[in-house]
Amino acid sequence: MNAARVGVITFPGSLDDRDAARAVRLAGAEPVSLWHADHDLQGVDAVILPGGFSYGDYLRAGALSRFAPIMDELIPAARAGLPVLGICNGFQVLCEAHLLPGALLPNAGLHFVCRDQRLRIDNADTVWTGEYSEGQEIVVPVKNRDGRYTADPDTLEELESTGRVVARYLDLNPNGSLNDIAGICNEAGNVVGLMPHPEHAVESLTGPSTDGLGFFTSIVKAGLGQVGVG
Amino acid sequence: MTERTPDNGGVSGDPSDGPTAEWFAELAADDPEHDPFARPADSAPAEPPAADTPGEPSDTDEHPPAAPPVITGSDIPAPQEGGPATGPQPPVSDEPFAAPGGPAPAQEPVSERPAVPDAGPGTGPQPPVEAGAPAPDAGPATGPQPPVAAEPPAGPGVPPGGPAPAQEDGPGTGPQPPVSGEPFAAAGGPGTGPQPAVGGEHPERPEAGATGTGPQPVPGEHPDLAALVALGRSEDEGGTPPTGTPVPGEGAEPPAREDGSFAGAPVAPHPHDAEGERAPGVVVESMPVDTVAVAERTPDQRQPYVELGMNEEEYRRVRQILGRRPTSAELAIYSVMWSEHCSYKSSKVHLRQFAEKAPQSEALLVGMGENAGVVDVGRGLAVTFKVESHNHPSYVEPYQGAATGVGGIVRDILSMGARPIAVMDSLRFGPADAPDTQRVLPGVVAGISGYGNSLGLPNIGGETVFDPCYEKNPLVNALCIGVMRHEDIKRAHAPGPGNKVILFGAATGPDGIGGASVLASATFDEESQAKRPSVQVGDPFMEKLLIECCMELYREDLVVGIQDLGAAGVSCATTELAAAGAGGMHIVLDAVPLRDPTLRPEEILMSESQERMMAVVEPAKVDRFLEICAKWEIPATVIGEVTDTGRLVMTWRGEVIVDIPPGTAADEGPVYERPQEPPADLAALQADTPGRLARPANAEDLRNTVLWLAASPNLSAKTWVTSQYDRYVLGNTVLAMPEDAGVLRLDEESGLGVAVSLDGNGRYTRLDPYSGAQLALSEAYRNVAMTGARPLAVTNCLNFGSPEDPGVMWQFAQATRGLADACQALGVPVTGGNVSFYNQTDDKPINPTPVVGVLGVHDDVRRRVTIGFPAEGHRVVLLGETREEFGGSEWAHVVYGHLGGLPPLVDLAAERALAAVMVSAAHEGLLSGAHDLSDGGLSQALVESCLRGGLGVRVTLPGDPFVALFSESVARAVVAVRPGSEARLAQLCEAAGVPATQIGVVGGDSFTVEGLFSIPLHELREAHERLLPSYA
Repeated sequence: MNAARVGVITFPGSLDDRDAARAVRLAGAEPVSLWHADHDLQGVDAVILPGGFSYGDYLRAGALSRFAPIMDELIPAARAGLPVLGICNGFQVLCEAHLLPGALLPNAGLHFVCRDQRLRIDNADTVWTGEYSEGQEIVVPVKNRDGRYTADPDTLEELESTGRVVARYLDLNPNGSLNDIAGICNEAGNVVGLMPHPEHAVESLTGPSTDGLGFFTSIVKAGLGQVGVG
Repeated sequence: MTERTPDNGGVSGDPSDGPTAEWFAELAADDPEHDPFARPADSAPAEPPAADTPGEPSDTDEHPPAAPPVITGSDIPAPQEGGPATGPQPPVSDEPFAAPGGPAPAQEPVSERPAVPDAGPGTGPQPPVEAGAPAPDAGPATGPQPPVAAEPPAGPGVPPGGPAPAQEDGPGTGPQPPVSGEPFAAAGGPGTGPQPAVGGEHPERPEAGATGTGPQPVPGEHPDLAALVALGRSEDEGGTPPTGTPVPGEGAEPPAREDGSFAGAPVAPHPHDAEGERAPGVVVESMPVDTVAVAERTPDQRQPYVELGMNEEEYRRVRQILGRRPTSAELAIYSVMWSEHCSYKSSKVHLRQFAEKAPQSEALLVGMGENAGVVDVGRGLAVTFKVESHNHPSYVEPYQGAATGVGGIVRDILSMGARPIAVMDSLRFGPADAPDTQRVLPGVVAGISGYGNSLGLPNIGGETVFDPCYEKNPLVNALCIGVMRHEDIKRAHAPGPGNKVILFGAATGPDGIGGASVLASATFDEESQAKRPSVQVGDPFMEKLLIECCMELYREDLVVGIQDLGAAGVSCATTELAAAGAGGMHIVLDAVPLRDPTLRPEEILMSESQERMMAVVEPAKVDRFLEICAKWEIPATVIGEVTDTGRLVMTWRGEVIVDIPPGTAADEGPVYERPQEPPADLAALQADTPGRLARPANAEDLRNTVLWLAASPNLSAKTWVTSQYDRYVLGNTVLAMPEDAGVLRLDEESGLGVAVSLDGNGRYTRLDPYSGAQLALSEAYRNVAMTGARPLAVTNCLNFGSPEDPGVMWQFAQATRGLADACQALGVPVTGGNVSFYNQTDDKPINPTPVVGVLGVHDDVRRRVTIGFPAEGHRVVLLGETREEFGGSEWAHVVYGHLGGLPPLVDLAAERALAAVMVSAAHEGLLSGAHDLSDGGLSQALVESCLRGGLGVRVTLPGDPFVALFSESVARAVVAVRPGSEARLAQLCEAAGVPATQIGVVGGDSFTVEGLFSIPLHELREAHERLLPSYA
């Protein structure tokens, strides 16, 4: 079978785009570079919105990138089931684009925080987490300034009751996220937003572990172009 | 976008270009009536002067009061002198060691302990230590209390600004950006004209959003460039630059600019200060633009050269060079280019040694003289690295000062043709519990974090040091590393008459006008608050775009010369590019895109607005150049072209305001041999040895001292600082703090990589500047070798007090001589660096603090060694010779606040031998961990290795346990050896003449010294991490 083609969008100010592409490659898929100003998803099987400070986080994180031309293509495609993973700034963009509920506020400590973070995978049924088992504990870096997940109580209750919390912080909540939430998915399970950076835990030489690789191998195993289901 | 004229050799831009033409018409109507130098100095506003009427250029007679009218250079990259050393040369350090000799006597795995060398008074210049002399008071018996309150530093320096996301409404609220790639409403919005997007202003920006000030010059060429034809441009219209154009006036020496970060000329009080009768904003004098023609007509007009930091003699020389009085714009250029910061006039005679004594190194591709040195690391790759200071701005405005310090050094690296791949920072503050430290430290850390993280550059190491001498003079030294292919190396020169000069990046505003001289020269006093507007404001987003844009420009080979704009802005870039190229340049100064249309030509010349670059581009490539800039939403404007007239000519509204030989400003500044003599108190300081200090009397005291040191500000964990830095981005960080050195992978396939360490010790240098500088190099060299890398090259940042103080000048002379000698002895050339003078309050200078960065190469980073001792049962071996050396030690500092005696004996041969052992041992995979011994000695090294690896250690100390634990003798390391490799390590050590002493074994959950004490790791960890708060 052909390798899955996974697009990685570069916005002005994206920083971890090459790292996401490397992780895709190490997982056995083909990374495809997508440019924010194009109206073209190049027929990819899945899309990653990488970390960084797109548009300098000016106005607020993700608020400007949400209006990039490529988002005009991505938003309907995601609603139609295209697997989309937003990491850190990508998560913020997905919230701003209303593909995921809630918002990410400045960290509780008001500092940028970079640390090796223990997480628990609470939903192993999404297209991005199929290679994990529910309850599995992993260590991946978290690094963000605006990572404090927030949503109104009803939304929070809905996320919890429908199993849409994908990953949760263990040991120490690095940014004050409600319910220790590190990642969530949409109702269909094809769109996942994650504040920690699995693409920085794919090689033992450069990461605290290789635990992050599962997000990328999951999409490969999920099969080409298939719509994941939550 | 703008119209660009065909490539006809330079004249371009259609004067009927809508808004642009109007803008110039308006500007022309704005009668520039006043000499900016005449503005009252005391009218400097508390905020940077903003365009008061955005949208239309002011036509009033009253410009907003500008920043203080004193101008100098600040922060531009600059080369030290001397060219690359070439020629054959011995390999740096691969050699010695693979002991060809017969099998070395294998040490018995366990208990063989060579006797500890006797550390009698005969071992070195150190005065005898009077062991056990009673201490005046407060001994270590008081227990392991750190002398500093463990209170968290005050809140965050600069909380992330901006409105919180509206949870429900999401992006519907607030200024909505256009859907295209022009997100900033401030940029004027669609329809306002041909202005490129990314105006760079954003809602959080403290500086008044001047982006709305009307149509800015469009990317492309300026109508006034037509003037070029009439103004002596070369007749050569061809697109192909002639090569080999002789450079008039360029002597044998390359430009000697070495980057005095904030050194500056003395600033005399502004005469207006004393008058006190002028209200802010009142225009005192008015005169038309000071053109060359006017200058010729008015030879006797008084000029404010003193206020600009020039002395009589320097001013006279300018008049002599020009054969007339300088115009105010020319005076601005000379004053800033001849400032201490840009000209290195006080340091130059000393810095020459770095070139004269440079060891021959085949690795050196670009030596001192460019923005940064470049070394060959193999596989066709070259690495450039440099450290630079941003000390004074970081005291005045910690966040922006530190942020723009990172921005400046990153552009230096970028302008060499390299992709920046990592940063490091060496920070020094006053006492950890001083109120001002709690203002400065969080702001500096937040600034480095905010800027560096937003650029996507991992921060991989550095230092955080506290000492009372830095209380009002914090040191913020930032280092950047970049990588490129050999063929991509760029130079800061402007060859080829007819080539275009393009300014790209942020628009020019009133940032840092006068910053260079005000901040660089003045020592701090009550007036510091008034200097706030002088600090530049950074926009890391713009810099990130600049990086990506430059990478693409380089990839398509579109530039023939490039220079970043730092201190002295346009003045520096134009004079240096011209002086190093065809020798002439014509600049239409009013083509410079402005954020504040009220800026005067002198201010444009001096502005230190960040995130700007200047490129020299062949005419045929200009269109493609501008296209790429547009793709990255980077404003770019042709502002002039290269000529072969030997003159740098600038016009303003059609009139010539600058006409100088550029080399006289860039390279031929004054050179001073300032008087020097040892500081008066030095002899007494050296005589006051730590021998009189009481030592721990028993095992309990020793145990407490271990904890006390581990908890002390300089030795405690810096996680609170380093966790605010992204160490992962780019995915090639192999080691980062708190490791001995940062290690980066350059090539995924081969594992080729580099290691960099940045070290300094102001206490050692205070006691003996010659040795102190060498000890800084020793430590950085050793740290790089600890990871298994071969040390290859050196950069330095020399932080000193006022060069006008003979004591400081003596320290500087000693330190540079010491460093140059040591580089020669260790075979590692200095590739570039930076000098920062005037780090003093009133007449009290900081401890002289040379900070030295060493870069080493890993053939395969997968063989790197970490400081953690990760495996039970591995033998622990101490390498090197321990003497009784406590002068300037952490022990004396922490326990007694004592500084006296002499620093540890320098032993470069031993350092080189140790490094060779480490490189071979890493290559052969003998070690599971290695940590150098430096501040705090063996005790602190073991504490850190245990905590890093999560395992305890059980050791038996040779000789006097106090000396064994806390002495700071150089050329030492403690390593953990993989089972079965002990004999081979012993063999390596034997062959290299490195003493090796097996002292114990890794394991358990405590740090245990046989027969003396045991400290559980949790207790150590609690002490070590107590000072700076962990995550909020």
